[in-house]
Amino acid sequence: MTEVQNSPAVAPAAAGPSVKTGRRSHLREAATGWLFVLPFAVLLVAFLLLPMAYAFKISLYRSTLIEGEVFALFDNYKQAIDDPLVREGVVRVLIFGLIQTPVMIGIALLAALLIDAATSRFSRFFRLAAFVPYAVPVVIGTLMWGFLYSDSIGPFSALGIDFVSSDTVLASLGNIVTWQWAGYNMIVLYAALQGLPRETYESARIDGATEVQIALRIKTPMIASALVLATLFTIMGTLQFFTEPLILQPLNPGAITQHYTPNVYAYQQAFSFQQYNYSAAISFLLGAVVFIGSYIFLFATRKRSALR
Amino acid sequence: MNIGNFSARKVSRRSVVAAVAATALALTGCTSGGDDKPAEKPAGPVTIKVWAWYPEFQGVVDNFNATHTDIKIEWTNAGTGQDQYTKLQTALKAGKGAPDVAMLELQEIPTFALTKHLVDLGKYGANDVKGDYVEWAWKQVSSGDQVYAIPVDAGPMAMMYREDIFKKYGLTVPKTWDEYKQQAEKLKTASAGKSFITDFGANDGGFMSGLFWQAGAQPYNYDLANPTSIGVNVNSAEAKKVIEYWEGMVNAGLADTTAFHTTDFYNGLGSEKYATYLAAGWGPGYIQANAAKSSGKWKVAPLPQWVAGENKQGDWGGSSFAVTDQAKYPDVAAKVAMELFGAKNTEAWKIGIDKAFLFPTATPVLESDTFKNKQYDFFGGQKVNEVFVPAYNAIGPFSWSPFNSYNFNQLTTNINQAIEKKTSWTAALDTAQANVKTYATQQGFKVQ
Amino acid sequence: MTFKKGSVAAHIVMGLLAIYFLLPFWWLLVAATKNNDGLFQSASLWFSDFQLIDNLKLLFQQDGGVYVTWLRNSAFYAVVSGVGATVISALAGYAFAKLRFPGRNALFALLLGLIMVPATALVLPTYLLMSQANMVDTIWAVILPSLLNPFGVYLLRVYVHDSIPDEMLEAARIDGAGEFRVFRSVALPAMKPALVTVLLFSMVASWNNFFLPLVMLSDDQLYPLTVGLRAWYMSAIMGNGGAATFNVIVTGALVAIVPLIVAFLMLQRYWRGGLTIGSVK
Repeated sequence: MTEVQNSPAVAPAAAGPSVKTGRRSHLREAATGWLFVLPFAVLLVAFLLLPMAYAFKISLYRSTLIEGEVFALFDNYKQAIDDPLVREGVVRVLIFGLIQTPVMIGIALLAALLIDAATSRFSRFFRLAAFVPYAVPVVIGTLMWGFLYSDSIGPFSALGIDFVSSDTVLASLGNIVTWQWAGYNMIVLYAALQGLPRETYESARIDGATEVQIALRIKTPMIASALVLATLFTIMGTLQFFTEPLILQPLNPGAITQHYTPNVYAYQQAFSFQQYNYSAAISFLLGAVVFIGSYIFLFATRKRSALR
Repeated sequence: MNIGNFSARKVSRRSVVAAVAATALALTGCTSGGDDKPAEKPAGPVTIKVWAWYPEFQGVVDNFNATHTDIKIEWTNAGTGQDQYTKLQTALKAGKGAPDVAMLELQEIPTFALTKHLVDLGKYGANDVKGDYVEWAWKQVSSGDQVYAIPVDAGPMAMMYREDIFKKYGLTVPKTWDEYKQQAEKLKTASAGKSFITDFGANDGGFMSGLFWQAGAQPYNYDLANPTSIGVNVNSAEAKKVIEYWEGMVNAGLADTTAFHTTDFYNGLGSEKYATYLAAGWGPGYIQANAAKSSGKWKVAPLPQWVAGENKQGDWGGSSFAVTDQAKYPDVAAKVAMELFGAKNTEAWKIGIDKAFLFPTATPVLESDTFKNKQYDFFGGQKVNEVFVPAYNAIGPFSWSPFNSYNFNQLTTNINQAIEKKTSWTAALDTAQANVKTYATQQGFKVQ
Repeated sequence: MTFKKGSVAAHIVMGLLAIYFLLPFWWLLVAATKNNDGLFQSASLWFSDFQLIDNLKLLFQQDGGVYVTWLRNSAFYAVVSGVGATVISALAGYAFAKLRFPGRNALFALLLGLIMVPATALVLPTYLLMSQANMVDTIWAVILPSLLNPFGVYLLRVYVHDSIPDEMLEAARIDGAGEFRVFRSVALPAMKPALVTVLLFSMVASWNNFFLPLVMLSDDQLYPLTVGLRAWYMSAIMGNGGAATFNVIVTGALVAIVPLIVAFLMLQRYWRGGLTIGSVK
């Protein structure tokens, strides 16, 4: 992505200034440039690079209640890779991502295609309705759904479904995520649809193509890059799944265990058991997986993605 | 034993340079400890920061501040239970940000005492108030002359039951667990499965531990005087007896398994879903606040016994005040810990008993007329403490592990999963035992 | 005719989806008008006794009126982090797009690489570092990390690169304006639509922030709404021995999301604008 940028056309030497002033202005521009990015660079170091380095460092130590901290190289990583609870969490978020992502992106795409095709007053209202859940903080959205799932105060008790049993809770969590983010993704996709040149499908319409055909065969492929990005951000989100299970946990700790997702597990290791070092190793592994995974995904789909 | 010292010693010189950050953290942790001499006091009142989550606590704090010109308490509610412990642990480890005085539930005391971040209150006269507490309660907070915290409230267990439901279906008040099961079966048939005898909330480690306690189980054998060795007996015969009993109750559809304190649980208490609630000493206020519409229908009877005619009891919950090593004036903080809910602080206990519904640990308060003979409208005017106080006095000794978060986590996770997956509960207890043993060994304990 | 039939079908699907998206709000609105008993006893999707005013009173009185403090904190964190992050992103985005300085490409590549680093993985080490800097349990522990917004920098760089021609800046430079003047009086006004978008995104991210303040803050006087409401919820659901006031929590949730929804509806245009920059470009 870095090579995309073409160098700004700075005043050429032909404009007249001597070599000396030219160099001075170069120096000045360099100094100004650094001055401008300095606050950002400082923050980048302080709140991204330093914590990363620090997390890596403490992940190389082991700490026990009795013996304190000792250097252990990659012991924590070995333990994390062998830890069945970590594996269980990873498998769970992968399954979750594989099911929830297509469902949600599907709903978002459907909604986006609908509001793109139908230009009624209701479709404008619908656009807002679908987007509003995104305005709700995740914590509050989850609390709300926790109440909605409740047998005693929620509206679905007549259905007789236990929404937080171990069989249903993953789907219940998926519903919360879908509810909260489908509208956001809808807007992203809708914006991409709006950016398409209308002529491309006007001609198809004249040729007798139905709206459904136009939507599926013409519009959808044309917004592939936006779809790819939306999918990527969703997958990244699901791998880091944390807030929703943490909030719903008290409703059924047998179903939402303390190792439900890798992030919940890392949180519990650090903050309930004071195993900061092991927690850092899990976090670091998870971060590396998300990071590498994102890039593999982007690379594999780079032809369709805007992020070339 | 000091974590700080140890790490500073082990880390090689080269990595010290590379790791200034981490060791600085550890070093501040150890230097802020051990200083016994109280700092010189300022001219004005000494400010003491207190973390606690008691209901109606503001009144107690205001009352304390009004009656002490030399001390000013600053109270923070840093979260309930694990939320507060998490913050307290991290603040203690960081060497900064902890309060002077912190509320600790009884089961958490060894966990915090092991980190050496609790001040020995024995040095500040805590042993003088020892006589105000019964033996088991004092043992929960001390080891020999070392006093880690001052007990505040406790949770002796008893059985609350719905008199109306009992009458409606012709049930009798059970005295033993066998009778309890018989009544449960009768209730199930008579109510056509609409009512359960009770709810077994496997999300609450304290509840299950209380039942183990009553049955004479000793999951841990641990004394802070010998902090590196621990006996682990989570799956003892006594504990298995309890767990098998409840497995039978749940699988037969006699007991519900809704998690405690959830909306569905509260709803069950207020409706006719549960005929009894196995409660603790803080239960009267709790149920009154959360199942108001069933007011007047409840009565309290002693917890059923395993052997007819015995009086074995267990505790569920209860708390204390500890002083952290970040207290600048540990003597003043110790005074606050001893007096806030002290035996003589009748004003505080007025709020504690009438508004917060705490079950006091101090014998003078327990035996006072205002507590013992207090009539509860919610229980149809019954003097429920006539049941709770004898139960409290009959509780035997019980020791907790120095890693209680892990202990409760293992207990609740494994039993809950057994409930969810309909697998054997005793096997779940065996799993917990194996996991705890592995964990304790990993943490460097000598496990017996 | 087929178009019409299709349109009806489309509206039915939209109608069903709209119910799905709005039902929880309807429930929340109704639930906030009930007292604790009403929550449990009455039909959950319709009003019974109208107790909203009482609930609001309870909400603003519980724990000495701490809810108002949380509301104020959330607003304060959102404004300070939002404005700060936008200013910092604007400076950096502009510099990346229009100024040549050594290390620019390397730094920008680093930024792009780090956009993907999961934020939750960094909370624990950030906490430990903050505690060494003595900043845990202060407002800085929440605000400072929120000032970093790599995505905002990226958006603004793209925007500046595409929409501000070099000639415009050059003209100002030839007129003798210093680099900062050029930035302030030429670039900044031209960046306005993108700035508003970044501001909104940063403010909402801060308003919704949960994990970071949950870990950083112990003092309930410093909590934002998200952490405070969860603390109440946990205290109800962990059983602290007191009353579980679900009606207060529900009302608190309603009050917490109203300002956001209003802001969203009013500023829709900018959202769409921002999302377009992010996705299409």
